[in-house]
Amino acid sequence: MTTRKALWLLSFVTLGALASAQPKVVSGYENGKPGGTLTMALSSAPQTMFYYGAIDSAIQTLANQMFDGLIEYNYKTYQIEPALAASWTITGESKVYTFKLRKGVKWSDGRDLTADDVVFTYTQIVANPEAKGGDAGNFAGVKIEKVDASTVRFTLPKPAPAFIHYMRLPIMPKHKLVSFSQEGGKKPGDINNAWPTNVDPDEVVGTGPFKLQSYTAGQKVTLVKNPNYWKRDADGTPLPYLDRLEFLIIPDSQAQVAQFLAGNIGQLNITGTDFPTLKQREVQGAPIRVVQFRALFGSPPHLAFNFDDKNPELATLFRKTDFRRAIQSAVNRKRIIDDVYNGLAELPGNGMAPVSEWYYDTTKLLGSYDLAAANAALDKLGLKKGPDGIRLLPSGKPLEFTLTYGSNSSTFAAIATIIQNDLKAIGVKANLQGILSANLLGTGRGKDWDAIILGFGDQPDPELRTPIWKPGGDLYYWHQSTQPTTPNGQPQFNNFLPWEKEIYDLWEKAASTTNQTQRKALYDRWQAIFAREAMVIMIAKAYAVGAVSTKYGNYIYSLGVIPGYNPVTIMYQK
Amino acid sequence: MWNFVFRRFLVAIPTLLLISVLIFGVIQLQPGGFLENMLDDPRVSRETVETIRRQYGLDQPIWVQYLSWLGGFVRGDFGYSFLNNRPVAGLIWERLGWTVFLALLTILATWVVAIPLGIYTALRRHGLGATVANLIGYFGLATPDFLVALLLIFAVLSSGGTNVGGLFSPQYIDAPWSWEKFKDMLAHLWIPLIVIGLDGTASIMRQMRANMLDVLTQDYIRTARSKGLSERVVLWKHAVRNAINPLISIAGLTLPNLISSTIIASIVLNLPTIGPFLYQSLLDKDQYVVMALLMLSAILLMIGNLLADLALAWADPRIRYE
Repeated sequence: MTTRKALWLLSFVTLGALASAQPKVVSGYENGKPGGTLTMALSSAPQTMFYYGAIDSAIQTLANQMFDGLIEYNYKTYQIEPALAASWTITGESKVYTFKLRKGVKWSDGRDLTADDVVFTYTQIVANPEAKGGDAGNFAGVKIEKVDASTVRFTLPKPAPAFIHYMRLPIMPKHKLVSFSQEGGKKPGDINNAWPTNVDPDEVVGTGPFKLQSYTAGQKVTLVKNPNYWKRDADGTPLPYLDRLEFLIIPDSQAQVAQFLAGNIGQLNITGTDFPTLKQREVQGAPIRVVQFRALFGSPPHLAFNFDDKNPELATLFRKTDFRRAIQSAVNRKRIIDDVYNGLAELPGNGMAPVSEWYYDTTKLLGSYDLAAANAALDKLGLKKGPDGIRLLPSGKPLEFTLTYGSNSSTFAAIATIIQNDLKAIGVKANLQGILSANLLGTGRGKDWDAIILGFGDQPDPELRTPIWKPGGDLYYWHQSTQPTTPNGQPQFNNFLPWEKEIYDLWEKAASTTNQTQRKALYDRWQAIFAREAMVIMIAKAYAVGAVSTKYGNYIYSLGVIPGYNPVTIMYQK
Repeated sequence: MWNFVFRRFLVAIPTLLLISVLIFGVIQLQPGGFLENMLDDPRVSRETVETIRRQYGLDQPIWVQYLSWLGGFVRGDFGYSFLNNRPVAGLIWERLGWTVFLALLTILATWVVAIPLGIYTALRRHGLGATVANLIGYFGLATPDFLVALLLIFAVLSSGGTNVGGLFSPQYIDAPWSWEKFKDMLAHLWIPLIVIGLDGTASIMRQMRANMLDVLTQDYIRTARSKGLSERVVLWKHAVRNAINPLISIAGLTLPNLISSTIIASIVLNLPTIGPFLYQSLLDKDQYVVMALLMLSAILLMIGNLLADLALAWADPRIRYE
């Protein structure tokens, strides 16, 4: 073949590829200019470069930039949109999901993305119970098959309305990972050995806007633009705009703020605590912008009481809705929002973020801060005040319990103190017990606690939080005697309180209802009962606060770790 | 003398065994478990947590876990990091370079500054220079290193500087070595040197000063002077040589500081050393990483002590280990 012939052939092939490519156009934002570098912070070093090899926020953040799922969320509305899948259909009584892959999507090493990659990702990794970051639980019994080179079909054993949200999990390249999988002849657990942190960066191949260039242990991860990325802006300019994305590993949040102020970091997620310092600098004319958004994601704290307290008298009391509602009247949410969050928070939802489409307005049921009413309600429960002002239990012992909180979280510690003070005013003695925030959930799921302040992450669909809010779930930790005695067993219905049974039935029904209006009605009802019974006392929902250098345009706040939500793609350097 | 070294080596074995049992026990006593936290991720079910526990061998009885670790350690296998899915040795190795560099540099700077200052302040007890040096010394002793770090960062930020942590500016971290990179490092290095070194400098200076004051009043110094020896010879050959002996023993104890002394300062200053890695592993209960690092620390302490004893014998003819 002569050179000329080869060139002709090449241009023909290129044209053909262009004609069949289906780039996704992102419009509604400023058209940026290509080029530039953005530096951000990671709070810990990545444990692996393989998303499914660990539950690790660092690799979750990095993977968001290097990989894509079949679907993704809209930056503004959080609605589900096509990503690697260009379209899909749901048929067969809501049990058959068929995804058509976007045409012309290439891996960062130039290979085509095919249905084989999707089937490989879900069958060999996600559904592999030995993969540490897999999701075997939600894919049990799901049949995953390739229909043709660009079509994949998932067949569910029963309708699962939130199933589509699981389709945002990142798709992995079969040609790079098959040698770690069962299909490649390895043991199921060996998949976790893929792409350790000292892997050759060229091996880490993705479809995302950026690809791995280098990792300096414990210090820095550098990603560079993936020239094969499949998104375009309204003008047809290929995304992402930025050439490089750098992540500095900085564990200490104060050190992160210092690096941001020094201009070494371009964008940083902060908390309400750091807000005044940074906002002041912005007002004084520093080249930064501090922005706040009502947040969908993030973990609002709640106050929970142990229904199975080791002290039977306390357990009986804690199970009483009237008691929990009385305590709720003593929780000064307004003060917490003003003092702890510097005003950057709102009244909480019950299980759903107020900004979510699933939110049911429970503000009235949350009650208001009223110590007189709280006192009256406790009097009515027969808890008389003793000589020292502390109320007495029926046995004559003082009403006293420990309140466990995360001592290394500035917000939790401050909230705990405020609650303790107000409880004292209504004759309830709470002894503070600070533990490492990392141990809070472990402690809550154990038996050694009376009351605790904890937070669970909000998600876009209530179904995704079933283990927390459905009585008897793995994370329904405040009433552990409802949990099954054997794994995968039935909950212990005999220990259910009447309203818990009601909630359980609502969730059961919602899990198999596919009609959106009906689902919304069921979950509305749940949120109302949750708030009415003060199942746990929700405290506040913090706003998302981010700081960004004015060098950058199109900045949208992102928690960073949520798969399918990556607005960094459209950021550009001015 | 080799006989002495050999005996010390034999004594070290049961000591290290005891230390390893203690460390392992303390790690197990730590409440809670990092595995539980994974449950907050919607991907993770209780079955996943149980699977991971089994993969790590955490479902085995504690003594089985300990013995299998010990077996590996003796053969030079430091174990496996749960979180990183990699052998511990490689993870430590990646971070060892900067750790050793920083530690040696600070130890060197500390001694080079502290010993002459100690001698100076002893000789000019009431001079202005000595008073200032003493004041700085007291400040260094009394102020926790992380506070010094925060103050320095604040000072740099207020004066419009950008070198507020780490050893390099972001663009140089993964760049190949060049003159520019070296200059950038020097611009960053002074903060950690002050923060990590201040405390040690102050305490060694104070001790050297006290030893010198002690020695200078001894009879043999008076004798030396009355013999008509020049002040220089009296000072360096008779006074300093005797005064420095106790410090040699202290030097041996600074070796394990390579790993553990700079944890908080390293976190605040974001230094790429082993300290923060040890801290994170402790929080995550990544037990084999913790075991490896703490055992390394214990071994370094023993080696340091041995070296100090040998150095002492070399420096002081009165000391013999036979």
